[in-house]
Amino acid sequence: MALIRVENLSKTYITGKNIETPALRDINLTIDDRDFVALAGTSGSGKTTLLNLLGSLDKPSSGSIFYEQQNIAQLNEQQVADFRLNQVGFIFQAYNLINTLTALENVEYIMLLQGVPAAERLDRSRDILKRVGIEKYINNFPNQMSGGQQQRVAVARAIVARPKVILADEPTANLDSRTAENLLDLMLELNQERQTTFVFSTHDPMVMDKVKRIVKLKDGEIIS
Amino acid sequence: MNNTFVKIAWRNILRNKKRSLITISAVGVGLGALIFIWSFAEGAHNQMINNYTSYVIGPVQVQAKGFQKNPKLETFVKDSPAVLNIIRQNPDVAAVSPRIQAEGLMGSSDSSMGTLVIGVQPQLERQVSKLDQRVARGQFLDEGDDNSVIIGKDMADNLGVDLQDKIVFMSQALDGSIASGAYYVKGIIQSGVTEIDKGLAIITYSAAEELFVMDGKPSQIVVQLHSASKSDAVAEQLRQALNNPDLEVLPWKDVSPVLQQWLDYDNTFIWIILIIVMIVVAIGIMNTVLMGVLERTREFGILIALGTRGRQIIQMVTYESVFLGLIGTAAGLIIGLGSSHFFSRTGIDLSVFTEALNSMYMESVIHPDINFKYVWISSGVVLLISIFVSVYPAWTASKLKPVDAIRSI
Ligand SMILES: Nc1ncnc2c1ncn2[C@@H]1O[C@H](COP(=O)(O)OP(=O)(O)OP(=O)(O)O)[C@@H](O)[C@H]1O
Ligand SMILES: [Mg+2]
Repeated sequence: MALIRVENLSKTYITGKNIETPALRDINLTIDDRDFVALAGTSGSGKTTLLNLLGSLDKPSSGSIFYEQQNIAQLNEQQVADFRLNQVGFIFQAYNLINTLTALENVEYIMLLQGVPAAERLDRSRDILKRVGIEKYINNFPNQMSGGQQQRVAVARAIVARPKVILADEPTANLDSRTAENLLDLMLELNQERQTTFVFSTHDPMVMDKVKRIVKLKDGEIIS
Repeated sequence: MNNTFVKIAWRNILRNKKRSLITISAVGVGLGALIFIWSFAEGAHNQMINNYTSYVIGPVQVQAKGFQKNPKLETFVKDSPAVLNIIRQNPDVAAVSPRIQAEGLMGSSDSSMGTLVIGVQPQLERQVSKLDQRVARGQFLDEGDDNSVIIGKDMADNLGVDLQDKIVFMSQALDGSIASGAYYVKGIIQSGVTEIDKGLAIITYSAAEELFVMDGKPSQIVVQLHSASKSDAVAEQLRQALNNPDLEVLPWKDVSPVLQQWLDYDNTFIWIILIIVMIVVAIGIMNTVLMGVLERTREFGILIALGTRGRQIIQMVTYESVFLGLIGTAAGLIIGLGSSHFFSRTGIDLSVFTEALNSMYMESVIHPDINFKYVWISSGVVLLISIFVSVYPAWTASKLKPVDAIRSI
């Protein structure tokens, strides 16, 4: 069943004195519930741009993005914040965490905004941190953890809030290959266990091997 | 929920200890200095008021209505024993002394000059003014010295007279007859105040009663208080207690407005200092918070991407400056109140500048005096400013576009 439907999506950046950079051209794409998709393509092909639009971090120039029946291109500021809070989870390439919060507090943060009661929040956070193998570090601040550990906390934070989809922009790019593979295996397991949809961008052939489906971008268009 | 924003704000302050400390110090020292300056000025001003009022006019005067505007002999306080009684009942009143006051001509064999003459009861007068202590040569009047006069140094010079010399006073009495009397100079006052040294002559109350035919008819009643700074309040209380439309109860600033004008003028300087301190505080906190926001652009981007709302971001940033403001204010209160209190005991010796100060009724040692009204004004303004300056950085942070913010590392 389709979770996300992208229709005729275009994004053109306008920089400086009316210099237009078309980053996405007329994209049509369907992402199914529980999918595990990688966006691949050379640098500048539009992967980050597409993920940002899918997460409503940016507005498209034209076209629509439907989550089930809702077109997120038309949300107002309040609704956008709600959408980000409840429907999607983000994992960025690095430095995902709030520096002034511990691993546990970072994981709790979204649930706090969602208004999950304290006891439940703590239970769920402890569980997920254990699940991602960070139980020893729950009271560490981000600068007291390795890059791989930080990414695991970021994955835990994204998934614990129970979004429909997790969007991850090159989540393994800053990690060595073993750590990267472990992180990807973890996400794959979580995809199955928790039935959460994942959409990645990546350059990494290892990642491409493991995903269920690859969407190839070139110059802002889908080529396969 | 709020707790997390408070926690984030607080930890951000701790995360940048050095910068926070500099900001807190700037606020603390600024506010501390301000409180101290205000206490110092308050102490100096109270001293000036005390000195000024103790020369002649006293903290409060009771006069017959119209005397202040147009001092005439026939404008005297009626029924003075009863009036004196009522005044003495006020617990803030330390002493009262009736006087007769008139103008006339003082002459020696050499020359003559216009003068103000006051008749005082020596015992009582010692309690309401310090005229007796300003006698540089000779002595002040005692009871029964009805043939003696005290004059100022400049008047003595102008008349060419010295101690024991005879001078003659001429004027008109209450009944229209000529008032004239001869007196021997018993003391010469040197106060540093021109009006006194040049234009004042003091005789006894009983001599004045006889001279002006003013038996039991004082022109004014000088009221000494335990604390001169209460002059306005006590004047009001006496006004109500006396409840007499024929009388005027005047605090010193109405009897002689010059000092009050000077004090008001002096206070404007303190307000200017206040404004400067506020600007320093504002820039200090604004700088810290804005730098903190700018260097955390990416973190704000992530907070927004996670679903944090604009107003929650604003809260977070505002808490930060409120904390800085609160700690800075606390430090300022400790510095300001501590230094004011310390120096109020020891006093601050300004003897290097004494020459200049004496003429303004100041003494060489100033004891700062904490006026909490000003303490609260200063601290309140500093706190408000610290919240106010966070508006811009907070708004900037809340309006960040997550895409741009996250890209900036
Ligand atoms: N904020 C922006 N302003 C202007 N042009 C932009 C902006 N962001 C991206 N672009 C342009 O849009 C195009 C697509 O960029 P995008 O970041 O989506 O590529 P990408 O596939 O994520 O590349 P990479 O693999 O290097 O991360 C590029 O030509 C890029 O220069
Ligand atoms: Mg990219």
